[in-house]
Amino acid sequence: MAFISSGYNPDKPMVNRITDIGPKYYEEFYPPVIKKNKGKWLYHEILEPGICVHVAESGDELYVLRVGGCRIMSVSHIREINEIADKHCDGYLRFTTRNNIEFMVDSKDKVEPLKNDLLSRKQPGGCYKFPLGGTGAGITNIVHTQGWIHCHTPATDASGTVKATMDVLFDQFTDMKLPAKLRVSMACCLNMCGAVHCSDIAILGYHRKPPMLDHEYLDKMCEIPLAVAACPTAAIKPAKVEVNGQQVKSVSVKAERCMFCGNCYTMCPSMPLADTEGDGIVLMAGGKISNRISAPKFSKVVVAFIENEMPRWPTMTKAIKKMVDTYAGDANKYERFGDWAERIGWEKFYEKTGLEFTHHLIDDFRDPAYYTWRQTTNFKFTNAIK
Amino acid sequence: METVEFGGKTFSVDEDGFIDSFDNWCPEWVQYVKSVEGIDELNDEHSKLVDVLRDYYEKNGIAPMVRVLSKVTGFKLKHIYELFPSGPGKGACKMAGLPKPTGCV
Ligand code: HEM
Ligand code: HEM
Ligand code: SF4
Ligand code: SF4
Repeated sequence: MAFISSGYNPDKPMVNRITDIGPKYYEEFYPPVIKKNKGKWLYHEILEPGICVHVAESGDELYVLRVGGCRIMSVSHIREINEIADKHCDGYLRFTTRNNIEFMVDSKDKVEPLKNDLLSRKQPGGCYKFPLGGTGAGITNIVHTQGWIHCHTPATDASGTVKATMDVLFDQFTDMKLPAKLRVSMACCLNMCGAVHCSDIAILGYHRKPPMLDHEYLDKMCEIPLAVAACPTAAIKPAKVEVNGQQVKSVSVKAERCMFCGNCYTMCPSMPLADTEGDGIVLMAGGKISNRISAPKFSKVVVAFIENEMPRWPTMTKAIKKMVDTYAGDANKYERFGDWAERIGWEKFYEKTGLEFTHHLIDDFRDPAYYTWRQTTNFKFTNAIK
Repeated sequence: METVEFGGKTFSVDEDGFIDSFDNWCPEWVQYVKSVEGIDELNDEHSKLVDVLRDYYEKNGIAPMVRVLSKVTGFKLKHIYELFPSGPGKGACKMAGLPKPTGCV
């Protein structure tokens, strides 16, 4: 395509440069009813899955329709979202912290037409463009990352695993039958961009092989002390090696100390570790961020490894479904996944879900590992550990 | 790797225009980076930053933290940006021939 200048002059890059203006002030985009009643809301109700009403002191009502968003979306899709907002919501809309889309209307009679319009729109392949749901005690959107679409350190894909999982859990998105909210998150490496460390169920990309060393380029491309300091288990040390008869500076990796975190590759491009057979998925469970009844919790590793099975990850989605179904049938009302697992005991969690307990799940990272072992005779006999 | 010609020399560079090796740095490289980094006139302060970066890298094998760079040169971050519009990493380190910054930048 021909080059079209925006007016930027590459020879004088600092001329007419605008900077440090920050984001737009959010009040510019408030629907009038939100602007008027800001800070004066009385209560809200979830009318049905995906539809909430908020009632203000003035008596004003705000109906909110929440629909699933695929997060990575084209400009045409955003234009379609705008078109819907123009048609039904005076041009206003918002995105949630879990990347759902919320359309807001100020009276009840506007809800049905909007709902029907949203549910009538489908992708050519058959998927809902705007599935209504994500409210209350169900499963809302999966917070996720870049995967093979854009990042250089992933051990699995984000968009693919998320689509496969949401398809399997779709009924829970459009309904509110669970004991409490169930948050699923996904990160494609253990940088954990997002919320995998604090979610009810988490999908995490994982490597199983140590980095390869590109000795020829390592000293040229990497700041060696940074690579050494990047390693949580001190598996890396500086080394002199011979390349084509010449001594060069590089590093050596003690394979039996490496646990494949990939942090050295983040710092040093000459230490790649992605591997087709080695890479896959770890499942974690039991985390939460709210302070509701129990304090926030970290999620724990419950499945040590599942292979990458593109494009649908069937073993992974089966394990997730199994966890969700067991929790749904067993937990008390308001109990989050972690609340439930801690009440019944993790040994019962493994028995009930049928997940395999392996030595990989026992913490062995530094002094804090000790506190995750059991210093009590309080336990239940189970058939989970063979 | 791509190559660029400048001032009668040939340099191998990556896709972001960083030089392939600290050892292949030379004064012509400085002039080349000046031409692509939006710098009108090179002055003593540019040279001081480049010298400090090369000296620190030679001794320590890493680029200095921004606070160290400010402390040693006496230039506040704002002034470093006045000298190098792209900043200490993409601008100054590139000119000094250091490896491309890594991590979640
Ligand atoms: C200091 C202010 C706020 C904090 C700290 C905060 C924090 C949070 C957190 C932690 C979540 C849960 C994310 C998750 O499910 O993992 C959340 C969700 C949500 N927040 Fe906020 N929030 C704030 C302000 C607001 C405001 C002003 C609104 C509405 C205008 C809002 C509406 C929501 C909604 C609708 C969700 C659920 C989104 C979904 O499940 O798709 N929040 N917020
Ligand atoms: C007396 C007033 C209110 C009380 C006691 C209340 C209480 C609650 C409770 C208990 C939840 C569920 C939390 C959970 O399941 O973990 C909730 C969710 C929520 N509340 Fe309220 N709330 C009140 C007013 C409001 C108002 C005025 C708004 C908005 C203007 C609001 C917005 C929300 C939203 C967006 C959610 C999340 C819905 C979902 O994602 O399913 N609440 N609230
Ligand atoms: S989780 Fe890892 S691989 Fe995924 S986007 Fe973040 S840094 Fe990249
Ligand atoms: S992958 Fe992680 S544990 Fe292994 S050498 Fe690199 S930084 Fe150390």
